[in-house]
Amino acid sequence: MTLFEPDGADWQYVSRKLIPARLIALALWVVIPLAGLTLLGVLASPWVFTGVAALLLIAAWAAWVIYRQVTAHAWVEREDDLVVKKGRLWRTVTVVPYGRMQYVEVQAGPLARAFGIANVQLHTASPGTDAAIAGVPESEAARLRDRLTSRGEAQLAGL
Amino acid sequence: MTDPIPAIPQRGPQVLYRAPREWTRMHPVSPLLGGWAVMAVALSIAAYNLLPNWLSFDEGMEALSEFAMRSILLFILGFVAILALVLGFGYLAWRVDEFRLGDEAIHQRKGILFKQQKQARLDRLQAVDVVQPLLARIFGFAALKIEVAGGEGSGIALEYLRLGDAEAIRNELLVLAAGVKRAKADGTNASVEAVADRIADAGAEPTSPGAAEAELAAGGQQGSAAQPTGSKAYAAGGSLRDVAGMPAGVAEVGAAPERPVYAVPTGRLIASILLSWPTVWIVAIPLMAVVAVLVLSDDIERVLLAAFSGGIAAILPAAFALVGYFWTRLSGGYGFTAGISEDGIRLKHGLTQTRRQTVPPGRVQAVRFEQSLLWRGKDWWRVTINVAGYQENQDQVSTLLPVGTRHDALTALWLVLPDLGDPDPAGTVSLALSGTGDEGGFTPSSRRARLFDPWQWRQRGVRATARALMIRRGRLVREVFVVPHERTQSLGLSQGPLQRARGVATFTVHSTNGPVKPIAGHLDVEDARELLEDQSRRAAEGRRRQTPEQWMSAVGLTEAKRP
Repeated sequence: MTLFEPDGADWQYVSRKLIPARLIALALWVVIPLAGLTLLGVLASPWVFTGVAALLLIAAWAAWVIYRQVTAHAWVEREDDLVVKKGRLWRTVTVVPYGRMQYVEVQAGPLARAFGIANVQLHTASPGTDAAIAGVPESEAARLRDRLTSRGEAQLAGL
Repeated sequence: MTDPIPAIPQRGPQVLYRAPREWTRMHPVSPLLGGWAVMAVALSIAAYNLLPNWLSFDEGMEALSEFAMRSILLFILGFVAILALVLGFGYLAWRVDEFRLGDEAIHQRKGILFKQQKQARLDRLQAVDVVQPLLARIFGFAALKIEVAGGEGSGIALEYLRLGDAEAIRNELLVLAAGVKRAKADGTNASVEAVADRIADAGAEPTSPGAAEAELAAGGQQGSAAQPTGSKAYAAGGSLRDVAGMPAGVAEVGAAPERPVYAVPTGRLIASILLSWPTVWIVAIPLMAVVAVLVLSDDIERVLLAAFSGGIAAILPAAFALVGYFWTRLSGGYGFTAGISEDGIRLKHGLTQTRRQTVPPGRVQAVRFEQSLLWRGKDWWRVTINVAGYQENQDQVSTLLPVGTRHDALTALWLVLPDLGDPDPAGTVSLALSGTGDEGGFTPSSRRARLFDPWQWRQRGVRATARALMIRRGRLVREVFVVPHERTQSLGLSQGPLQRARGVATFTVHSTNGPVKPIAGHLDVEDARELLEDQSRRAAEGRRRQTPEQWMSAVGLTEAKRP
């Protein structure tokens, strides 16, 4: 059962392409220490290979966490607000009213662009608002941004 | 706008002052006032570097005096050089630091190498402060700080103006901002000129039908300000007032009449500072040392010696921190008064540096009541607020009541939120302040949370009135948050693995940057879900009906509603 299930909510899950994108980022972090440890194992003592095994285990666990996180990350546009949910073990739901949006930011790094996805982040006047949607398909991201902006303008309320 | 000084029409011997519409520099003494902080730092560094030389010198007297002479000479030379540098730099900075009131915003441009252009939109005005550091205060000058909601460094600081000019600009900005908001709501021309004209018309003909209360009130003041009676600030200007020959005069827009609401007696402030944890530590540590000596009764001299030689170095930073804490509390809360006017809430406080804050109606985003265990006997409360735009010195600017009785605290809340949307606001808030469980109609934290929240699960609770959400928590330090529905930014719900196992969740209201961070922990997951849904609905309703006029009529500043 999910933490928050609004009536008639049609959750839009983020693109599965986010999984390989994040896995590659993870691999970049793992590969160099792995190579170093392997080299050390070959040159010095075979005991070092326990470290290699541990590192591989951690990497496998991180990969599994990435898979679980991405498949739990979703958003839904309701009449007055946008709801973003994320996380499996530590779950959060954020409700951002359109009238409170200061601006919408669409970001895509080189890796994300290669996979055709983007990060859409909503900013309110509160630093606590954690409403980032990672892994929105690029075309959808632009549409989402425009839709959010126009709704925000329509319902804009002063601080 | 072609006439070079249309802003200063002559009226008899005195002159009307209004915020300049052309680019205008700060007062010419600004480099001197601002440079002193730099000078003090430079002097202390110089002293620090030179002193050890003198101290470590222990040869013949002749050599010593020669050395001292040389040191003093060097010191004076260095001082003059630094002084020249600071003043020169200050002068250059002053030359390019200019401001003006534009069509929709107040603009500032400054910077010698890196040019900076800032603007604060009047319809985004969050608070206007008149700040007087000690030196400026002695000579009758002030800095004007204009805060807008725009994140770090978005506010405008005009340093320094004559006190009277700073107050005049503040009054004018607040009236214009209210007028601009009004005009935007009515769909009429909302540029500064148009609003100013309308206010002037309303002043000439105060009974003109259809004018908004804010403008009527503003017009009324302006009428009275035209006869230079309500302008004591100018008459009592500082001794350096006329050095620069800048036009002095009467504020075109007088300060809105202010009704004092509460004040903090100095005795209570000092008592409240003494009744705090740092004091307890200061008393406790020597006591513990004495007890240790008595118990061990070993060799008192040796213990004392060890304590002094090893302890001083360790204790000194802690002592400085403690002194700093006392000083902040004392200087921030000294002479604290709060009042209301058409312009909004007015706060005044400060020992050496005084600060006069004006927060327009409806600009307070969230309120927190706080009572530590030591204050419980007296039933004293501290009230802090979130105001968008305040970024620095939050401890100083975000205090609504440094210390006050329960009655004062309730009054402080009433200032911010005149209509709590509850038939018995005083009783409800009182129960919120000191109740537990479901007292006062609160939805308590779930009993299932006691496993990992054994200490304060009884105190946690949340309750929504028609106008605001109240969150209660804390056992040793009691805390109550009040967030008006229309000020809610966004809402959050979160749940960790332990909470999930026990079927509870934490509800968060995201407010603007500030000391108030309302969180309702460990609610039953069903309650939390319901609260999230209800709050987003209430916040949407609240946004639809917010107007500053409601605040004014509720605090008794205007009698009649707009037709």
